[in-house]
Amino acid sequence: MITAPAGRELQAGAAQSHRPRRTGGVLRGLLLAVMGILSMFPLYMMFTTSFKVQTQIFMPGATFFSREFWLFTPTLENYRSVLVDGNFVRYLTNSLIVGVVSTILTLLLSVLAAYALARFQFMGRGVISWTSLLLRTVPLVVLVVPVFGIWQSWGISDTLPGLILLYTAVNIPFAIWVLYGFIAQVPPELEEAAAVDGASPFRTFFAVVLPLIRPGLAAAGIFVFRVAWNEFILALVLTNRFSRTMPVEIAANITDVGVEWGRVMAMGVLIAIPPLLFTLLAARQLIAGLTAGAVKG
Amino acid sequence: MKQPLISARSPRSVKQPLTRLTPWLFVLPATLIMVVACLYPVLQALRLSFYNWSIGTPWTEAVFTGAQYFGRLAQDPAVRSSLLTTLLFAATVVIAEMILGLVLALALEKPMRGLTLFRTVFILPMMIAPIVVGLTWRFLFDTNFGAINALMTSVGVGKITWLADPNLAFFAVVVADIWQWTPFVFIMLAAGLQNLDGAVMEAAAIDGATPWQAIWTVKLPMLMPIIVVTLLLRLIDAFRVLEVVYIMTGGGPGNSTEILSMHIYKTAFSGGQLGYASAISVLLLAVVMGLSVVVLRLSNPLSAGKKA
Amino acid sequence: MTDLPPSGDLKAAPTATDNPTAMTETRREVLRKLGLTTAAIAASTTLPHFSIAGAQASSRYAKYKGSTIVLSIPAHPHFDAAIKMFAQFTRETGIRVEADRIETGRMKDKQLLEMSKGRGDYDVVTFIATWKGEYVKKKLIEEMQPFLSNAALADPNYDISDVVPGYLQNIGLVGGKKGYLPGPGAKLYGLPSGAETSIMAYRKDIFASLKLKPPTTYTELEAMLPIIQDKGKIGAMTSRGKSGHDAMHGFLLHLNPMGGEVFDDNWKPVFQEAPGIKALQFMQKVVATGPKGIPSFAFGEMSNSFLQGEAAIYIDSIAIFGPAADESKSRIKGKVGYALHPKAARYSSQTGGFGLAIPANSANKEAAFLFIQWLTSKQQDLSIARLGGNAMRTSTINNGALRALYPQYAILKEQIKYANPDWRPIIPEWDALNIQIFGIAVNEGLTGKNAQAALQGAVGPVTDLMKRAGYYS
Repeated sequence: MITAPAGRELQAGAAQSHRPRRTGGVLRGLLLAVMGILSMFPLYMMFTTSFKVQTQIFMPGATFFSREFWLFTPTLENYRSVLVDGNFVRYLTNSLIVGVVSTILTLLLSVLAAYALARFQFMGRGVISWTSLLLRTVPLVVLVVPVFGIWQSWGISDTLPGLILLYTAVNIPFAIWVLYGFIAQVPPELEEAAAVDGASPFRTFFAVVLPLIRPGLAAAGIFVFRVAWNEFILALVLTNRFSRTMPVEIAANITDVGVEWGRVMAMGVLIAIPPLLFTLLAARQLIAGLTAGAVKG
Repeated sequence: MKQPLISARSPRSVKQPLTRLTPWLFVLPATLIMVVACLYPVLQALRLSFYNWSIGTPWTEAVFTGAQYFGRLAQDPAVRSSLLTTLLFAATVVIAEMILGLVLALALEKPMRGLTLFRTVFILPMMIAPIVVGLTWRFLFDTNFGAINALMTSVGVGKITWLADPNLAFFAVVVADIWQWTPFVFIMLAAGLQNLDGAVMEAAAIDGATPWQAIWTVKLPMLMPIIVVTLLLRLIDAFRVLEVVYIMTGGGPGNSTEILSMHIYKTAFSGGQLGYASAISVLLLAVVMGLSVVVLRLSNPLSAGKKA
Repeated sequence: MTDLPPSGDLKAAPTATDNPTAMTETRREVLRKLGLTTAAIAASTTLPHFSIAGAQASSRYAKYKGSTIVLSIPAHPHFDAAIKMFAQFTRETGIRVEADRIETGRMKDKQLLEMSKGRGDYDVVTFIATWKGEYVKKKLIEEMQPFLSNAALADPNYDISDVVPGYLQNIGLVGGKKGYLPGPGAKLYGLPSGAETSIMAYRKDIFASLKLKPPTTYTELEAMLPIIQDKGKIGAMTSRGKSGHDAMHGFLLHLNPMGGEVFDDNWKPVFQEAPGIKALQFMQKVVATGPKGIPSFAFGEMSNSFLQGEAAIYIDSIAIFGPAADESKSRIKGKVGYALHPKAARYSSQTGGFGLAIPANSANKEAAFLFIQWLTSKQQDLSIARLGGNAMRTSTINNGALRALYPQYAILKEQIKYANPDWRPIIPEWDALNIQIFGIAVNEGLTGKNAQAALQGAVGPVTDLMKRAGYYS
């Protein structure tokens, strides 16, 4: 229902675009505002609910335009309970370690591979690029059963390194894809000049190419981090009470007496902060990174 | 940014003895990790689908059953209906997101005030953890205290049991996905529009094409490669959806939202049949890869050569 | 919960079984009833009895002082009450307790994963009665009797005969009649904690204003539903209905009183016969006259709609006792009356809920046993009940002080008589049937499909699964 009125607005906006500029501008501004509100409303509800107690959340009589729907006395009780009770800090630390380490590893390995795929012709190039593309398509649920057995036999089940290895592996195909697009846009003349000066391929790569694709690294990094930070189903199977990550902990709060909405939304806000922060800081790079693979040339 | 891709050129000249190994030094670490921790598990899933292995029992007690599970798979009405649900879900969300994203990208093509801010705001949902997306929308769609029913009551429609009705629950899950991923399509296509050759646009304008004609005859054809890649990416992700459905409906009511990934999860953990779950995984994998290969053949982003 | 009397007011009611001789007698009798082997009975009668329980208790725990045990517990009101007592256990015994609290639905997945490792995370697992067959078949949990018979560990005042027999049988026994009932070969694998039966709760205020009496039969109940909806301006009765375990649970609550069963004695499906159709049709009426959204209600949403004042009748687990009296969770405190789960062809209420067991791959089995024994002792069962958890001992249910706090325990005492240990078949395959076949069929019946067609549609898949599992060879 949320999207239906938006859809009408959209078509109206598109159809009107040949009208005199002012009408078009107003309509487009309106479209922008409506889409922005629709986009933000669920996040707004999540944010405000995290400051409500249970009786403020269950308002049987409240309608959308009533005062009590929008105005309430905020409480920090949910945040206090989330941060003080239980092992939330342990899980937050786990998520940070897994997210940061696997992101760095993924970027390092992927950028090297993407460089080779973009710049060299070599035996096996086709196989590797096709393999990485196909692995990009694997739904994570497919990995759940085999990975549980394999990780255990390797002795890395329930450990953070085990989770880091897995997230690195499933993220590499995606990161190669994004970084390839960026590397392909670097003028090869620069590298040729470095090579003429006698620099080794590695030196050329680190000194010349890497600085030029920093925005790409930022974009790929955010997306890779997003997966490692938000992933649930594999973490559920591969962690124990010591190595559990935040999404698994959030799911644990869906209790048998219903969802503790205030607490869950407080956790949702907390878990959303790092990726949202990165996104706001690097929105431009992010958009460039997303489209680099597709929009090149 | 318009230089031809180096990879389209002939290989670098071979001067140093190391050179032939160099590409492999670059590529090997990533490949190794991918093969060991991603490809190997995928192949293992294939192998497991030939074994009757019950969760909680040691692997040594698993019984080789041959291709029996695939026979069962072909006749299992639950799998068939789940496959149909998956395809319907993927088709619905991808088509809706592509159309919405495209219309939005075309409507907001010209620079205007607030656009940058809007684009930033618009990509935020993509960053939210699927588990939280599921919870948020379950909350919004809640019959008794959800914001959507609060609005419905206000406009006189009354309370609607969104998640308790097979069609409405499917709709609700679709809405959550559209909310999260339409921005992605918009960003991709908007960037594509920006990169279109300005000269061609001007020529079209000089020829007296209306904006409407320009869209159909010039912009869309030129945008096609990006549309295809975006479609591919969305398609892949649509088959990956699990958490949002798990949290919002758990596959219900009935099995109206039981997409394959959900069905695999239930077969493995509620049913405890790891082997059969693997066989269904192979089916899911085949569907996704099959569709992807078709799309990749149309436009391969890592291709050595360039296509129109 | 502020109006609770201090704990000193609530002492375990003295019973005849406090006398060691009498206790041995009772225990032997109960064990025979349970169908335990004669060897086990012999072992249990050789338990030494010390006159000074305290001295013995400290020696029991001394060896395990400083160790840590890890519990897998569900996010459930009973365990929210129990968890408040863990610190006391550590004070008394020196054994540390760490609880891993997970949503029930996912708890089993996690337990299975942990218990299939060489050395798992858990020393105590909380299981739902329906999981016991699967856990035992896969050799994942330990038999209890060796611990109960171990003089160095067992508490002579434990008095297993005080545990409500239906609960003990339903939750603890595996290997007897049909594999899950008492009888030759039955062995004890777990002890109840969070055991439950079904009961009816209703809004006294609404019933009074409509001049209705709490229904005693399904006929009365069914006739009442539209009246409450029309005149009471409230959903008549709440129910679980969410696709999967919850829908089936709601169905079973009515199937049993209507005289139906899931399988006959030869494992032939009979759930689709007349009582089943009647039960599902009754549920359809509940959906039509109840609070909105029943087909998406799990236990939480179901009980919440009652607690938030959107339904006048509740027929489900006694787990509602605590939350209904808790102002932070309930808008209807003081307005709730309790009565027997109504009768149709017969009285038949649920048995089930949670039990505690020791994983075979635990490293601290003895300490784990000591914890389970402590938590399920008379004293602690009473403490949990006082905190709003589920009582599982006869002595607790009969306790006068507790009854002053929760008058409904008088009803519970009566209700327990009708608790049916064969409420649903607890075979290892149950969860696969329950979640993937029955739960979906019943839910389809609640969302538009004809009752008969919905149940009939499940017969084929159920028969297939049972055939594959070897029940018809």
